[in-house]
Amino acid sequence: MSDQCEETLGVGLLCEGQHDPGTPPAGLRRAPSGVDGLSTEHLIINMGPQHPSTHGVLRMIIEVDGEEVIASEVSVGYLHRGIEKLAEHRRYDAVGTLMDRGDYVSGIMGELAFALAAEQLMEVDVPRKAHWLRSLTSELNRLASHLVWYGTFGLDTGAMGQFLYAMREREALCDILEAITGQRMMFNYVRPGGVVADLPVGVEEKIRAFLATFPTYLGEYDQLLGGNEIFQARVKGIGVIDRDMALAFGLTGANLRAAGVDFDVRKARPYAAYPELDFEVPLGTVGDAWDRYTVRMGEMAQSARMIGQLIDGMPEGDHIAKVSKIIRPAAGEVYASVESSRGETGVHLVSDGTEHPYRMHYRGPSLYAVQALEELLPGHLLGDVVMLIGSTDVMLGEIDR
Amino acid sequence: MRPAPADIERAIVGLIDARVTEEPLGVVARVSLADVVEALEALKVAGYESLVDFDGTDTGELIELTYRLRSYALDLEVYVKAPVSYGGTIASIWHEYPSALMPERETAELFGLHLAGHPNPKRLLTTDGVAPLLRKDVLIRTVEEVRDR
Repeated sequence: MSDQCEETLGVGLLCEGQHDPGTPPAGLRRAPSGVDGLSTEHLIINMGPQHPSTHGVLRMIIEVDGEEVIASEVSVGYLHRGIEKLAEHRRYDAVGTLMDRGDYVSGIMGELAFALAAEQLMEVDVPRKAHWLRSLTSELNRLASHLVWYGTFGLDTGAMGQFLYAMREREALCDILEAITGQRMMFNYVRPGGVVADLPVGVEEKIRAFLATFPTYLGEYDQLLGGNEIFQARVKGIGVIDRDMALAFGLTGANLRAAGVDFDVRKARPYAAYPELDFEVPLGTVGDAWDRYTVRMGEMAQSARMIGQLIDGMPEGDHIAKVSKIIRPAAGEVYASVESSRGETGVHLVSDGTEHPYRMHYRGPSLYAVQALEELLPGHLLGDVVMLIGSTDVMLGEIDR
Repeated sequence: MRPAPADIERAIVGLIDARVTEEPLGVVARVSLADVVEALEALKVAGYESLVDFDGTDTGELIELTYRLRSYALDLEVYVKAPVSYGGTIASIWHEYPSALMPERETAELFGLHLAGHPNPKRLLTTDGVAPLLRKDVLIRTVEEVRDR
């Protein structure tokens, strides 16, 4: 039959009845027919990895029936640098530079997770001031990270103005973080035993000047985006991740709290200065994209509140414990986690007593959020895909590591 | 928070051969590779509803898998460890814990293991032909070694 077809029709043309669309990529499912009962051709659309709206190098393979997503597959790995392997060849005080490049928008939290894990094995007494400086830089970094999310989430839903305002505030935060740590993004500030430098002269005034205007601005920003009817129509009731789905997919952070689960590592497993701070954990109810938006906006207000408390109550004393130049923690295995901007960042550290970690596993919350997208997207419209990626606030640096 | 080791023993030891200890890491249940799916299923029944982390460690003799489970209702965490030999096969736990889908692919790829019962057992992070990077016998080159090539 096939020879005959080639003879009559020529090579490269298909005979009637021979048309085979091929098997879909693994992981994709096939729906039997279109929603109206008529057979509709399904298209498989490749989106990314170089796409301005996928927040990095995320690639999605999406099967659509008209405008409706039938199945989706997430393909990651375009930013894999082997952070876990490289950490096995770094000294303990140098691993922070790798953690910065994991979740590169909130590097302090990655550094802190590793430092907390190493300190469990070192049995070092971290000074109280170091705890407070860690919390202060974490919250400044969380604000800077959430502002990036706020600006780009608006872009994902079709709004533009809020992005410019968010970047203006982020600029002020980057200036403050630069004054404290010496860097705007890749800080390497938190080290096992404490932090690398005390607050410099003049930064307290900078932070107070920022706090004097930020809460007012935050209210305006919430109005600008959240008060917009078009935005509300785009996000309310869309992309529901309920409690069961959030737990099944291991979600943490704002994505989990939007479903009403009251779990924040800062409260549930207190670290740094958080036991001494007064703050609330914003919660959602149904877990749609709107809830994820309101939870993150609430978190920004709480972060600003904490920064005020941290500046007012900053204790005196050393900013780092007496730690030897070459750190050799006791052999053992520990786990430490922190509440990063995107959820629970964990470090599983195995030490063999030498100056290099034997094994360092970095749990990025975005890896778990991005695999939930495969389950979340089917049933939604193609136009909502970008918005839903933005609503989960995934960061490719910590997915690929 | 850590559960009482006795509670974990009660949940799984009746079913399978397991050893539950309290370590600096937390409460750890050590089971054989053949029993790990049954142990995780039993722990899910006991309330550990979320798999929040999964990774492996090359001990030099075998790969040690570590599952980190959490119960939000009880506010407890437990670790399950299982050994697997080099080139061995991991039974996927995704039907109980869908959060294992990508971490299992990553662990299998980076330690040179195989996956059984996984719906999409492809490589996650690297391309075909890349050595299992996290194995201790796979060495990384220094800058000088790369320059000298």
